[in-house]
Amino acid sequence: MRQYKNYFKVKNIEFKSISAQRIYNDYLKRVERTISILSEKDKLDMLMEINSHIYEAMQQDGKENEIDKLLITTENLGLPEEFLIPVVAEKKLIQAVHTFNPKHVWQALKMNISNGLGYSIVSILYLGLSVFGFLIFTKIFFPSKTGLFYMNNEFKAFGFISNADEMNEVLGFWFFPITIVSAVIIYVLITLLLGMLKSK
Amino acid sequence: MDNVFVNKWSSQLKKGTLSFIVLNVLKDNEYYGYELIEKVKHDTKIEIAEGTFYPLMNRLKKDGFVESNWVEQKSGIPRKYYKLTKQGEVILVKMKDYWISMSATIQKLF
Repeated sequence: MRQYKNYFKVKNIEFKSISAQRIYNDYLKRVERTISILSEKDKLDMLMEINSHIYEAMQQDGKENEIDKLLITTENLGLPEEFLIPVVAEKKLIQAVHTFNPKHVWQALKMNISNGLGYSIVSILYLGLSVFGFLIFTKIFFPSKTGLFYMNNEFKAFGFISNADEMNEVLGFWFFPITIVSAVIIYVLITLLLGMLKSK
Repeated sequence: MDNVFVNKWSSQLKKGTLSFIVLNVLKDNEYYGYELIEKVKHDTKIEIAEGTFYPLMNRLKKDGFVESNWVEQKSGIPRKYYKLTKQGEVILVKMKDYWISMSATIQKLF
């Protein structure tokens, strides 16, 4: 019996043959592994659906023995690591858009990046967001090496540079509000873009 | 070579029409996952790759064309029943119109 927090339980199917039981347990474990990044509610829903499919298929009359019937059923469904990926990718995207949680956003991007240019743009923006986060950190610990650098009134760099001896950092304390505001703008852009891609 | 091309083409065609077929089947009744797959196979003689069915149902649900609910069973293993929504009925009418007009157009080419 698999139980997820605050939700129903998934009743395991009982087989007469030990081998069939093992095949079933192994298949369900693979399903669980594939959907592990989903919310508890989505995980349970998916697992119950696959479990129900296997159970209903096993109830059908046929000449096959229990093991063969189970093998045919799981073969027809396919490898969980393959056929469940589109569902996981889509559900993860919905979760990312609803929660704005960076962890979910990142996982959704990883799963959807192969789905087109839109996700590639979002990934680049997300990388930009991580860089801004990193720069805030380096500005605290290496203030003279992080910022907006000019040399002889000419723009040289924005970010972290190891040798800033002959350059002039012009932002000073303003680096923090500017970086934070930029990061917030990028984050809003990411969530808006994800929302647009989700509704496509 | 020709057979390979035709097989590929027919498989793409089936894949492309699967959502239309599923919505059509659901217009008269609600079905649980396994039953719906069997019904589609029986009525259309199309062999659905069962693994493609659940992502499809998830997409139709996300788009608001079908809804589902879990129904407890004596066995202790509930069934998830799918049914068409109002939005699903509307889209199905549009799809049917398009299908009729497209098949008429193609018929003219024969």
